[in-house]
Amino acid sequence: MNHAARTGSMADAAPPPVIEVENLGIRFRRNRLSRRSFKDLFAGSTRRTRSGEFWALRGASFTVGAGEAIGVVGRNGQGKSTLLKLVAEVMLPDEGHVRVHGGVAPLIEITGGFVPELTVRDNVYLTAGLHGMKRQEVDARFDEIIEFAEIGDFLDTPYKHLSSGMKVRIAFSVISRLEEPIMLVDEVLAVGDKGFREKCYRRIEELLAGGRTLFFVSHNEGDLRRFCTRGLYLNQGQLVLDASIDEVLDRYNADYAEV
Amino acid sequence: MTVASDTSALPRLERYFSALWLLARRDLRVRYSTSFLGYFWSLLDPLLMAAIYYFVFTQVFNRDVGESPYIVFLLTALLPWTWFNGTISDTTRVYLVESKLIRSTKIPRTIWVASLVLSKGIEFVASIPVLVIFAVFTGAQVHWEAFYFLLAIAMQAVLTLGIGLIVAPLVVFFRDLNRAIKLLLRFLFYASPIIYGVTDLPASLHVLAAFNPLSGILSLYRSAFFPEQFDAFTVVVAGLMSLVFLALGILVFRRTERAVLKEI
Repeated sequence: MNHAARTGSMADAAPPPVIEVENLGIRFRRNRLSRRSFKDLFAGSTRRTRSGEFWALRGASFTVGAGEAIGVVGRNGQGKSTLLKLVAEVMLPDEGHVRVHGGVAPLIEITGGFVPELTVRDNVYLTAGLHGMKRQEVDARFDEIIEFAEIGDFLDTPYKHLSSGMKVRIAFSVISRLEEPIMLVDEVLAVGDKGFREKCYRRIEELLAGGRTLFFVSHNEGDLRRFCTRGLYLNQGQLVLDASIDEVLDRYNADYAEV
Repeated sequence: MTVASDTSALPRLERYFSALWLLARRDLRVRYSTSFLGYFWSLLDPLLMAAIYYFVFTQVFNRDVGESPYIVFLLTALLPWTWFNGTISDTTRVYLVESKLIRSTKIPRTIWVASLVLSKGIEFVASIPVLVIFAVFTGAQVHWEAFYFLLAIAMQAVLTLGIGLIVAPLVVFFRDLNRAIKLLLRFLFYASPIIYGVTDLPASLHVLAAFNPLSGILSLYRSAFFPEQFDAFTVVVAGLMSLVFLALGILVFRRTERAVLKEI
Protein backbone atom coordinates (compact mmCIF):
# COMPACT_ATOMS: atom_id res chain seq x y z
CA MET A 1 0.00 0.00 0.00
CA ASN A 2 1.48 3.36 -0.90
CA HIS A 3 1.60 6.25 1.47
CA ALA A 4 -0.94 8.44 -0.27
CA ALA A 5 -3.59 5.73 -0.34
CA ARG A 6 -3.13 4.98 3.35
CA THR A 7 -3.41 8.53 4.54
CA GLY A 8 -6.37 8.96 2.23
CA SER A 9 -8.30 6.09 3.74
CA MET A 10 -7.32 6.97 7.28
CA ALA A 11 -8.14 10.65 7.01
CA ASP A 12 -11.64 10.63 8.47
CA ALA A 13 -11.79 7.04 9.73
CA ALA A 14 -11.98 5.99 13.37
CA PRO A 15 -9.29 3.67 14.74
CA PRO A 16 -9.47 0.16 13.21
CA PRO A 17 -12.25 -1.89 14.83
CA VAL A 18 -11.17 -4.60 17.26
CA ILE A 19 -14.65 -5.72 18.28
CA GLU A 20 -17.49 -5.82 15.78
CA VAL A 21 -20.90 -6.76 17.06
CA GLU A 22 -23.73 -7.11 14.61
CA ASN A 23 -27.37 -7.71 15.40
CA LEU A 24 -26.39 -9.79 18.42
CA GLY A 25 -29.04 -11.85 20.15
CA ILE A 26 -29.19 -14.66 22.66
CA ARG A 27 -32.17 -16.30 24.32
CA PHE A 28 -32.57 -18.32 27.48
CA ARG A 29 -35.24 -20.49 28.95
CA ARG A 30 -37.21 -18.76 31.63
CA ASN A 31 -37.80 -21.91 33.60
CA ARG A 32 -34.96 -24.30 34.16
CA LEU A 33 -37.35 -27.15 34.69
CA SER A 34 -39.34 -26.68 31.55
CA ARG A 35 -39.30 -29.73 29.41
CA ARG A 36 -36.64 -30.05 26.84
CA SER A 37 -36.64 -32.47 23.98
CA PHE A 38 -33.90 -33.90 21.88
CA LYS A 39 -35.30 -31.92 19.01
CA ASP A 40 -34.73 -28.62 20.84
CA LEU A 41 -31.26 -29.57 21.77
CA PHE A 42 -30.10 -30.22 18.26
CA ALA A 43 -32.10 -27.49 16.64
CA GLY A 44 -29.92 -24.94 14.94
CA SER A 45 -29.95 -21.28 15.84
CA THR A 46 -32.66 -20.51 13.33
CA ARG A 47 -35.64 -22.12 15.00
CA ARG A 48 -38.42 -19.90 16.20
CA THR A 49 -38.69 -18.73 19.79
CA ARG A 50 -40.78 -21.00 21.96
CA SER A 51 -42.93 -19.88 24.81
CA GLY A 52 -40.98 -19.89 28.06
CA GLU A 53 -37.98 -18.42 26.37
CA PHE A 54 -36.85 -14.83 26.48
CA TRP A 55 -34.21 -12.79 24.72
CA ALA A 56 -31.56 -11.69 27.20
CA LEU A 57 -30.10 -9.56 24.49
CA ARG A 58 -31.34 -8.79 21.03
CA GLY A 59 -30.46 -6.68 18.05
CA ALA A 60 -27.34 -5.14 19.56
CA SER A 61 -24.88 -3.72 17.03
CA PHE A 62 -21.79 -1.64 17.70
CA THR A 63 -18.12 -1.41 16.85
CA VAL A 64 -15.25 -0.85 19.22
CA GLY A 65 -12.09 0.76 17.95
CA ALA A 66 -8.60 -0.08 19.17
CA GLY A 67 -7.77 1.77 22.38
CA GLU A 68 -11.35 2.67 23.24
CA ALA A 69 -12.62 2.23 26.79
CA ILE A 70 -16.22 1.12 26.84
CA GLY A 71 -18.41 0.96 29.92
CA VAL A 72 -21.55 -1.14 29.90
CA VAL A 73 -24.35 0.39 31.97
CA GLY A 74 -27.69 -1.05 32.99
CA ARG A 75 -29.57 -2.48 35.93
CA ASN A 76 -29.28 -6.10 37.03
CA GLY A 77 -30.56 -8.63 34.55
CA GLN A 78 -30.52 -6.32 31.55
CA GLY A 79 -27.94 -8.36 29.67
CA LYS A 80 -24.68 -6.69 30.67
CA SER A 81 -22.79 -9.79 31.74
CA THR A 82 -24.29 -11.76 28.90
CA LEU A 83 -22.94 -9.22 26.46
CA LEU A 84 -19.52 -9.46 28.06
CA LYS A 85 -19.57 -13.25 27.83
CA LEU A 86 -20.54 -13.08 24.17
CA VAL A 87 -17.67 -10.71 23.48
CA ALA A 88 -15.35 -13.04 25.42
CA GLU A 89 -16.69 -15.84 23.22
CA VAL A 90 -17.42 -18.07 26.18
CA MET A 91 -21.07 -18.01 25.13
CA LEU A 92 -22.37 -18.33 21.61
CA PRO A 93 -25.08 -16.09 20.15
CA ASP A 94 -28.35 -17.35 18.70
CA GLU A 95 -28.51 -14.43 16.29
CA GLY A 96 -25.97 -12.19 14.67
CA HIS A 97 -22.29 -12.40 15.37
CA VAL A 98 -19.32 -11.08 17.29
CA ARG A 99 -15.98 -10.57 15.59
CA VAL A 100 -13.01 -10.04 17.85
CA HIS A 101 -9.72 -9.12 16.19
CA GLY A 102 -6.95 -9.93 18.58
CA GLY A 103 -6.49 -11.75 21.86
CA VAL A 104 -8.64 -11.15 24.88
CA ALA A 105 -7.71 -11.05 28.56
CA PRO A 106 -11.00 -11.92 30.26
CA LEU A 107 -11.23 -10.75 33.85
CA ILE A 108 -14.36 -12.80 34.29
CA GLU A 109 -14.51 -15.35 37.10
CA ILE A 110 -10.78 -14.86 37.37
CA THR A 111 -10.25 -17.43 40.09
CA GLY A 112 -12.10 -20.08 38.11
CA GLY A 113 -9.06 -21.76 36.63
CA PHE A 114 -7.22 -22.12 39.90
CA VAL A 115 -6.92 -25.61 41.31
CA PRO A 116 -7.25 -25.78 45.12
CA GLU A 117 -4.84 -28.68 45.54
CA LEU A 118 -1.97 -27.25 43.53
CA THR A 119 0.55 -24.69 44.76
CA VAL A 120 0.43 -21.01 43.86
CA ARG A 121 3.41 -21.50 41.58
CA ASP A 122 1.78 -24.34 39.65
CA ASN A 123 -1.45 -22.40 39.42
CA VAL A 124 0.23 -19.35 37.94
CA TYR A 125 1.79 -21.46 35.18
CA LEU A 126 -1.46 -23.32 34.60
CA THR A 127 -3.75 -20.29 34.37
CA ALA A 128 -1.36 -18.20 32.32
CA GLY A 129 -0.82 -21.17 30.02
CA LEU A 130 -4.53 -21.77 29.54
CA HIS A 131 -4.93 -18.15 28.52
CA GLY A 132 -2.29 -18.62 25.89
CA MET A 133 0.96 -17.55 27.52
CA LYS A 134 4.01 -19.59 26.63
CA ARG A 135 6.14 -21.11 29.36
CA GLN A 136 9.10 -18.80 28.71
CA GLU A 137 6.77 -15.79 28.84
CA VAL A 138 5.48 -16.89 32.22
CA ASP A 139 9.07 -17.45 33.40
CA ALA A 140 9.92 -13.92 32.35
CA ARG A 141 6.95 -12.36 34.11
CA PHE A 142 6.72 -14.65 37.09
CA ASP A 143 8.43 -12.37 39.61
CA GLU A 144 6.41 -9.41 38.44
CA ILE A 145 3.17 -11.38 38.88
CA ILE A 146 4.04 -12.51 42.39
CA GLU A 147 5.26 -9.11 43.42
CA PHE A 148 2.08 -7.44 42.23
CA ALA A 149 -0.05 -9.92 44.18
CA GLU A 150 2.11 -9.45 47.27
CA ILE A 151 2.20 -13.14 48.14
CA GLY A 152 5.89 -13.93 47.80
CA ASP A 153 5.88 -16.07 50.95
CA PHE A 154 3.15 -18.39 49.73
CA LEU A 155 4.60 -19.63 46.45
CA ASP A 156 4.57 -23.26 47.49
CA THR A 157 1.39 -23.15 49.54
CA PRO A 158 -1.58 -25.00 48.08
CA TYR A 159 -3.99 -22.48 46.63
CA LYS A 160 -6.83 -23.63 48.91
CA HIS A 161 -4.91 -22.43 51.97
CA LEU A 162 -4.77 -18.82 50.79
CA SER A 163 -7.17 -16.25 52.19
CA SER A 164 -9.92 -15.20 49.81
CA GLY A 165 -8.24 -11.81 49.36
CA MET A 166 -4.98 -13.44 48.34
CA LYS A 167 -6.81 -15.69 45.92
CA VAL A 168 -8.30 -12.75 44.07
CA ARG A 169 -5.00 -10.88 44.15
CA ILE A 170 -2.99 -13.61 42.51
CA ALA A 171 -5.75 -14.27 39.96
CA PHE A 172 -5.98 -10.61 38.98
CA SER A 173 -2.24 -10.40 38.82
CA VAL A 174 -1.96 -13.30 36.38
CA ILE A 175 -4.77 -12.29 34.05
CA SER A 176 -3.75 -8.63 33.97
CA ARG A 177 -0.26 -9.66 32.82
CA LEU A 178 -1.60 -11.33 29.71
CA GLU A 179 -0.22 -9.35 26.80
CA GLU A 180 -3.55 -9.19 25.04
CA PRO A 181 -4.85 -6.09 23.26
CA ILE A 182 -8.37 -6.38 24.66
CA MET A 183 -9.41 -6.46 28.33
CA LEU A 184 -12.82 -7.55 29.51
CA VAL A 185 -13.62 -6.67 33.11
CA ASP A 186 -16.71 -7.88 34.93
CA GLU A 187 -16.95 -6.40 38.42
CA VAL A 188 -14.16 -8.66 39.64
CA LEU A 189 -12.74 -5.74 41.51
CA ALA A 190 -15.62 -5.53 43.93
CA VAL A 191 -13.63 -7.94 46.09
CA GLY A 192 -10.32 -7.41 47.82
CA ASP A 193 -9.33 -4.68 50.23
CA LYS A 194 -9.34 -1.03 49.35
CA GLY A 195 -5.59 -0.73 48.94
CA PHE A 196 -5.38 -3.58 46.50
CA ARG A 197 -8.41 -2.40 44.58
CA GLU A 198 -6.69 0.92 44.01
CA LYS A 199 -3.64 -0.97 42.81
CA CYS A 200 -5.78 -2.93 40.36
CA TYR A 201 -7.31 0.27 39.09
CA ARG A 202 -3.90 1.80 38.54
CA ARG A 203 -2.89 -1.30 36.65
CA ILE A 204 -5.95 -0.99 34.42
CA GLU A 205 -5.15 2.67 33.79
CA GLU A 206 -1.60 1.71 32.95
CA LEU A 207 -2.84 -0.83 30.43
CA LEU A 208 -5.26 1.70 28.97
CA ALA A 209 -2.47 4.21 28.59
CA GLY A 210 -0.55 1.48 26.78
CA GLY A 211 -3.25 1.41 24.12
CA ARG A 212 -5.37 -1.54 25.29
CA THR A 213 -9.04 -1.71 24.55
CA LEU A 214 -11.27 -1.97 27.61
CA PHE A 215 -14.73 -3.43 27.88
CA PHE A 216 -15.97 -2.78 31.38
CA VAL A 217 -19.13 -3.87 33.19
CA SER A 218 -19.88 -2.17 36.47
CA HIS A 219 -22.53 -0.65 38.66
CA ASN A 220 -20.15 1.83 40.12
CA GLU A 221 -20.58 5.22 38.51
CA GLY A 222 -17.27 6.52 39.74
CA ASP A 223 -15.36 3.60 38.23
CA LEU A 224 -17.19 3.94 34.96
CA ARG A 225 -16.38 7.63 34.67
CA ARG A 226 -12.81 7.02 35.72
CA PHE A 227 -11.94 4.46 33.05
CA CYS A 228 -14.40 4.78 30.24
CA THR A 229 -14.90 7.31 27.50
CA ARG A 230 -17.84 5.69 25.82
CA GLY A 231 -20.88 4.00 27.29
CA LEU A 232 -23.34 1.37 26.17
CA TYR A 233 -26.67 1.50 27.93
CA LEU A 234 -28.58 -1.78 28.03
CA ASN A 235 -32.20 -1.94 29.00
CA GLN A 236 -34.35 -5.07 28.76
CA GLY A 237 -31.91 -6.73 26.44
CA GLN A 238 -31.78 -3.80 24.04
CA LEU A 239 -28.93 -1.47 23.38
CA VAL A 240 -30.79 1.78 23.94
CA LEU A 241 -27.94 4.26 23.91
CA ASP A 242 -24.41 4.25 22.56
CA ALA A 243 -22.77 7.58 23.42
CA SER A 244 -20.17 9.19 25.63
CA ILE A 245 -20.02 7.75 29.14
CA ASP A 246 -21.31 10.96 30.74
CA GLU A 247 -24.30 11.08 28.45
CA VAL A 248 -25.07 7.42 29.07
CA LEU A 249 -24.81 7.76 32.84
CA ASP A 250 -26.99 10.87 32.83
CA ARG A 251 -29.65 9.06 30.86
CA TYR A 252 -29.39 6.03 33.15
CA ASN A 253 -29.74 8.22 36.23
CA ALA A 254 -32.66 10.09 34.72
CA ASP A 255 -34.44 6.81 33.90
CA TYR A 256 -34.14 5.57 37.44
CA ALA A 257 -34.24 8.86 39.31
CA GLU A 258 -37.67 8.23 40.74
CA VAL A 259 -37.00 4.62 41.71
CA MET B 1 -21.34 -17.33 14.31
CA THR B 2 -18.16 -16.35 16.09
CA VAL B 3 -15.01 -15.62 14.20
CA ALA B 4 -11.53 -14.89 15.44
CA SER B 5 -10.23 -13.71 12.14
CA ASP B 6 -6.63 -12.78 12.62
CA THR B 7 -5.35 -15.84 14.45
CA SER B 8 -4.20 -18.24 11.77
CA ALA B 9 -4.69 -21.97 12.05
CA LEU B 10 -1.19 -22.99 13.10
CA PRO B 11 -0.73 -20.96 16.28
CA ARG B 12 -4.28 -21.85 17.21
CA LEU B 13 -3.53 -25.55 16.85
CA GLU B 14 -0.32 -25.07 18.78
CA ARG B 15 -2.22 -23.31 21.53
CA TYR B 16 -4.79 -26.10 21.61
CA PHE B 17 -2.15 -28.75 22.10
CA SER B 18 -0.21 -26.80 24.69
CA ALA B 19 -3.43 -26.25 26.66
CA LEU B 20 -4.27 -29.93 26.25
CA TRP B 21 -0.93 -30.86 27.72
CA LEU B 22 -1.32 -28.38 30.58
CA LEU B 23 -4.72 -29.76 31.51
CA ALA B 24 -3.64 -33.39 31.35
CA ARG B 25 -0.65 -32.60 33.53
CA ARG B 26 -2.87 -30.73 35.94
CA ASP B 27 -5.17 -33.75 36.27
CA LEU B 28 -2.29 -36.11 36.89
CA ARG B 29 -0.67 -33.75 39.36
CA VAL B 30 -3.85 -33.31 41.34
CA ARG B 31 -4.41 -37.05 41.41
CA TYR B 32 -0.88 -37.86 42.51
CA SER B 33 -0.15 -34.97 44.82
CA THR B 34 -3.16 -35.61 47.02
CA SER B 35 -2.85 -39.32 47.64
CA PHE B 36 -0.12 -41.30 49.28
CA LEU B 37 -0.38 -44.29 46.96
CA GLY B 38 -0.62 -42.07 43.89
CA TYR B 39 0.33 -44.09 40.84
CA PHE B 40 -0.62 -47.38 42.49
CA TRP B 41 -4.26 -46.41 42.80
CA SER B 42 -4.58 -46.37 39.05
CA LEU B 43 -3.19 -49.92 38.98
CA LEU B 44 -5.18 -51.25 41.88
CA ASP B 45 -8.49 -51.43 40.06
CA PRO B 46 -7.35 -53.47 37.03
CA LEU B 47 -5.09 -55.66 39.21
CA LEU B 48 -7.89 -56.49 41.61
CA MET B 49 -10.23 -57.28 38.72
CA ALA B 50 -7.59 -59.46 37.13
CA ALA B 51 -7.04 -61.30 40.41
CA ILE B 52 -10.77 -61.93 40.82
CA TYR B 53 -11.31 -63.26 37.31
CA TYR B 54 -8.13 -65.26 37.48
CA PHE B 55 -9.32 -66.91 40.68
CA VAL B 56 -12.84 -67.54 39.42
CA PHE B 57 -11.85 -68.94 36.05
CA THR B 58 -8.82 -70.99 37.03
CA GLN B 59 -9.66 -72.12 40.55
CA VAL B 60 -13.45 -72.30 40.64
CA PHE B 61 -14.52 -72.99 37.06
CA ASN B 62 -12.66 -74.96 34.52
CA ARG B 63 -11.58 -72.35 32.03
CA ASP B 64 -11.96 -73.23 28.38
CA VAL B 65 -11.87 -69.67 27.02
CA GLY B 66 -8.93 -67.36 26.55
CA GLU B 67 -5.32 -68.41 26.48
CA SER B 68 -2.49 -69.17 28.85
CA PRO B 69 -1.01 -67.57 30.80
CA TYR B 70 -4.51 -66.40 31.61
CA ILE B 71 -3.40 -63.58 33.92
CA VAL B 72 -1.48 -61.96 31.04
CA PHE B 73 -4.44 -62.60 28.78
CA LEU B 74 -6.68 -60.77 31.26
CA LEU B 75 -4.36 -57.83 31.85
CA THR B 76 -3.80 -57.11 28.15
CA ALA B 77 -7.50 -56.24 27.97
CA LEU B 78 -8.19 -55.01 31.49
CA LEU B 79 -5.59 -52.25 31.42
CA PRO B 80 -6.97 -50.66 28.21
CA TRP B 81 -10.49 -51.22 29.54
CA THR B 82 -9.58 -49.21 32.64
CA TRP B 83 -8.53 -46.35 30.36
CA PHE B 84 -11.78 -46.50 28.40
CA ASN B 85 -14.03 -46.99 31.40
CA GLY B 86 -12.33 -44.28 33.48
CA THR B 87 -12.47 -41.72 30.69
CA ILE B 88 -16.11 -42.27 29.83
CA SER B 89 -17.20 -42.20 33.49
CA ASP B 90 -15.32 -38.95 33.99
CA THR B 91 -16.75 -37.31 30.87
CA THR B 92 -20.20 -37.60 32.44
CA ARG B 93 -19.04 -35.07 35.05
CA VAL B 94 -16.61 -32.99 33.05
CA TYR B 95 -18.86 -29.99 32.35
CA LEU B 96 -19.91 -29.84 35.96
CA VAL B 97 -16.36 -30.03 37.27
CA GLU B 98 -14.84 -27.61 34.78
CA SER B 99 -17.74 -25.18 34.53
CA LYS B 100 -15.85 -22.22 36.01
CA LEU B 101 -12.98 -22.60 33.58
CA ILE B 102 -15.31 -23.13 30.65
CA ARG B 103 -17.11 -19.89 31.56
CA SER B 104 -13.88 -17.91 31.60
CA THR B 105 -11.64 -19.27 28.83
CA LYS B 106 -12.35 -19.60 25.17
CA ILE B 107 -10.19 -22.58 24.29
CA PRO B 108 -12.07 -24.83 21.85
CA ARG B 109 -14.31 -26.74 24.18
CA THR B 110 -13.52 -30.20 22.87
CA ILE B 111 -10.42 -29.83 25.00
CA TRP B 112 -12.26 -30.76 28.20
CA VAL B 113 -12.99 -34.21 26.85
CA ALA B 114 -9.70 -34.55 25.01
CA SER B 115 -7.66 -33.76 28.11
CA LEU B 116 -9.43 -36.57 29.97
CA VAL B 117 -8.63 -39.01 27.18
CA LEU B 118 -5.01 -37.87 27.34
CA SER B 119 -4.52 -37.97 31.11
CA LYS B 120 -6.14 -41.40 31.43
CA GLY B 121 -4.15 -42.51 28.40
CA ILE B 122 -0.93 -41.49 30.09
CA GLU B 123 -1.96 -43.54 33.11
CA PHE B 124 -2.60 -46.49 30.83
CA VAL B 125 0.84 -46.20 29.22
CA ALA B 126 2.36 -45.91 32.69
CA SER B 127 0.64 -49.18 33.64
CA ILE B 128 2.21 -51.16 30.78
CA PRO B 129 5.33 -52.04 32.86
CA VAL B 130 3.04 -54.04 35.15
CA LEU B 131 1.95 -56.10 32.19
CA VAL B 132 5.61 -56.64 31.29
CA ILE B 133 6.39 -57.81 34.82
CA PHE B 134 3.56 -60.36 34.72
CA ALA B 135 4.63 -61.50 31.27
CA VAL B 136 8.19 -62.05 32.47
CA PHE B 137 7.13 -64.00 35.55
CA THR B 138 4.68 -66.21 33.72
CA GLY B 139 6.98 -66.74 30.77
CA ALA B 140 4.57 -65.30 28.17
CA GLN B 141 6.12 -64.93 24.73
CA VAL B 142 6.24 -61.49 23.12
CA HIS B 143 5.74 -61.45 19.35
CA TRP B 144 6.41 -58.81 16.74
CA GLU B 145 2.69 -58.00 16.93
CA ALA B 146 3.58 -55.95 20.02
CA PHE B 147 3.96 -53.07 17.57
CA TYR B 148 0.20 -53.20 17.14
CA PHE B 149 0.04 -51.58 20.58
CA LEU B 150 0.67 -48.22 18.92
CA LEU B 151 -2.14 -48.71 16.44
CA ALA B 152 -4.44 -49.93 19.20
CA ILE B 153 -3.67 -46.90 21.37
CA ALA B 154 -4.39 -44.56 18.47
CA MET B 155 -7.67 -46.31 17.67
CA GLN B 156 -8.74 -46.34 21.29
CA ALA B 157 -7.95 -42.64 21.69
CA VAL B 158 -10.11 -41.83 18.64
CA LEU B 159 -12.97 -44.04 19.84
CA THR B 160 -12.91 -42.75 23.41
CA LEU B 161 -12.78 -39.13 22.28
CA GLY B 162 -15.72 -39.74 19.95
CA ILE B 163 -17.90 -41.35 22.62
CA GLY B 164 -16.83 -38.75 25.19
CA LEU B 165 -17.91 -35.93 22.87
CA ILE B 166 -21.34 -37.52 22.62
CA VAL B 167 -21.74 -38.28 26.31
CA ALA B 168 -20.41 -35.04 27.86
CA PRO B 169 -22.96 -32.57 26.41
CA LEU B 170 -25.93 -34.92 26.67
CA VAL B 171 -25.40 -35.50 30.39
CA VAL B 172 -25.71 -31.74 30.94
CA PHE B 173 -29.32 -31.91 29.77
CA PHE B 174 -30.31 -35.36 30.86
CA ARG B 175 -28.84 -35.97 34.29
CA ASP B 176 -30.27 -39.49 34.38
CA LEU B 177 -28.01 -40.39 31.54
CA ASN B 178 -25.26 -40.58 34.10
CA ARG B 179 -26.76 -43.76 35.51
CA ALA B 180 -27.57 -45.19 32.14
CA ILE B 181 -23.94 -44.76 31.14
CA LYS B 182 -22.83 -46.69 34.23
CA LEU B 183 -25.07 -49.58 33.29
CA LEU B 184 -24.01 -49.47 29.68
CA LEU B 185 -20.37 -49.58 30.67
CA ARG B 186 -20.98 -52.65 32.79
CA PHE B 187 -22.83 -54.30 29.92
CA LEU B 188 -20.03 -53.37 27.55
CA PHE B 189 -17.48 -54.95 29.86
CA TYR B 190 -19.05 -58.37 29.36
CA ALA B 191 -19.94 -57.72 25.74
CA SER B 192 -16.30 -57.07 24.92
CA PRO B 193 -13.57 -59.67 24.70
CA ILE B 194 -11.98 -59.04 28.08
CA ILE B 195 -12.45 -62.18 30.13
CA TYR B 196 -12.72 -64.18 26.90
CA GLY B 197 -11.14 -63.76 23.48
CA VAL B 198 -12.72 -62.73 20.15
CA THR B 199 -12.10 -66.26 18.90
CA ASP B 200 -14.17 -67.77 21.70
CA LEU B 201 -17.44 -66.35 20.40
CA PRO B 202 -19.73 -68.63 18.41
CA ALA B 203 -19.38 -68.11 14.66
CA SER B 204 -22.88 -66.67 14.45
CA LEU B 205 -21.89 -63.75 16.68
CA HIS B 206 -18.62 -63.05 14.94
CA VAL B 207 -19.86 -60.28 12.63
CA LEU B 208 -22.08 -58.70 15.26
CA ALA B 209 -19.25 -58.62 17.80
CA ALA B 210 -16.97 -56.91 15.30
CA PHE B 211 -19.26 -53.89 15.38
CA ASN B 212 -18.29 -53.36 18.98
CA PRO B 213 -15.11 -51.43 18.22
CA LEU B 214 -13.57 -52.57 21.48
CA SER B 215 -13.39 -56.11 20.04
CA GLY B 216 -10.92 -55.12 17.38
CA ILE B 217 -8.97 -52.79 19.61
CA LEU B 218 -8.58 -55.29 22.44
CA SER B 219 -7.63 -58.08 20.06
CA LEU B 220 -4.90 -55.82 18.69
CA TYR B 221 -3.44 -55.34 22.15
CA ARG B 222 -3.67 -59.04 22.79
CA SER B 223 -1.90 -60.10 19.64
CA ALA B 224 1.35 -58.92 21.26
CA PHE B 225 1.33 -62.07 23.37
CA PHE B 226 -1.29 -64.14 21.57
CA PRO B 227 -0.96 -63.63 17.79
CA GLU B 228 -3.90 -65.96 17.07
CA GLN B 229 -6.19 -63.37 18.71
CA PHE B 230 -5.57 -61.04 15.77
CA ASP B 231 -8.50 -60.92 13.42
CA ALA B 232 -8.13 -58.62 10.44
CA PHE B 233 -11.86 -58.23 9.79
CA THR B 234 -12.63 -57.26 13.38
CA VAL B 235 -9.76 -54.79 13.46
CA VAL B 236 -10.77 -53.08 10.21
CA VAL B 237 -14.36 -52.75 11.37
CA ALA B 238 -13.15 -51.39 14.72
CA GLY B 239 -11.03 -48.79 12.90
CA LEU B 240 -13.98 -47.66 10.81
CA MET B 241 -16.34 -47.66 13.77
CA SER B 242 -13.91 -45.55 15.78
CA LEU B 243 -13.84 -42.97 13.01
CA VAL B 244 -17.64 -43.06 12.75
CA PHE B 245 -17.91 -42.45 16.50
CA LEU B 246 -15.48 -39.54 16.28
CA ALA B 247 -17.41 -37.96 13.40
CA LEU B 248 -20.67 -38.46 15.28
CA GLY B 249 -19.10 -37.07 18.44
CA ILE B 250 -17.92 -33.92 16.71
CA LEU B 251 -21.35 -33.48 15.16
CA VAL B 252 -23.24 -33.89 18.45
CA PHE B 253 -20.75 -31.68 20.24
CA ARG B 254 -21.05 -28.88 17.71
CA ARG B 255 -24.82 -28.98 17.58
CA THR B 256 -25.20 -28.88 21.35
CA GLU B 257 -22.36 -26.48 22.21
CA ARG B 258 -24.49 -23.34 22.17
CA ALA B 259 -27.09 -24.85 24.47
CA VAL B 260 -24.50 -26.38 26.80
CA LEU B 261 -22.80 -23.03 27.35
CA LYS B 262 -26.10 -21.50 28.40
CA GLU B 263 -26.80 -24.31 30.81
CA ILE B 264 -23.57 -24.47 32.81
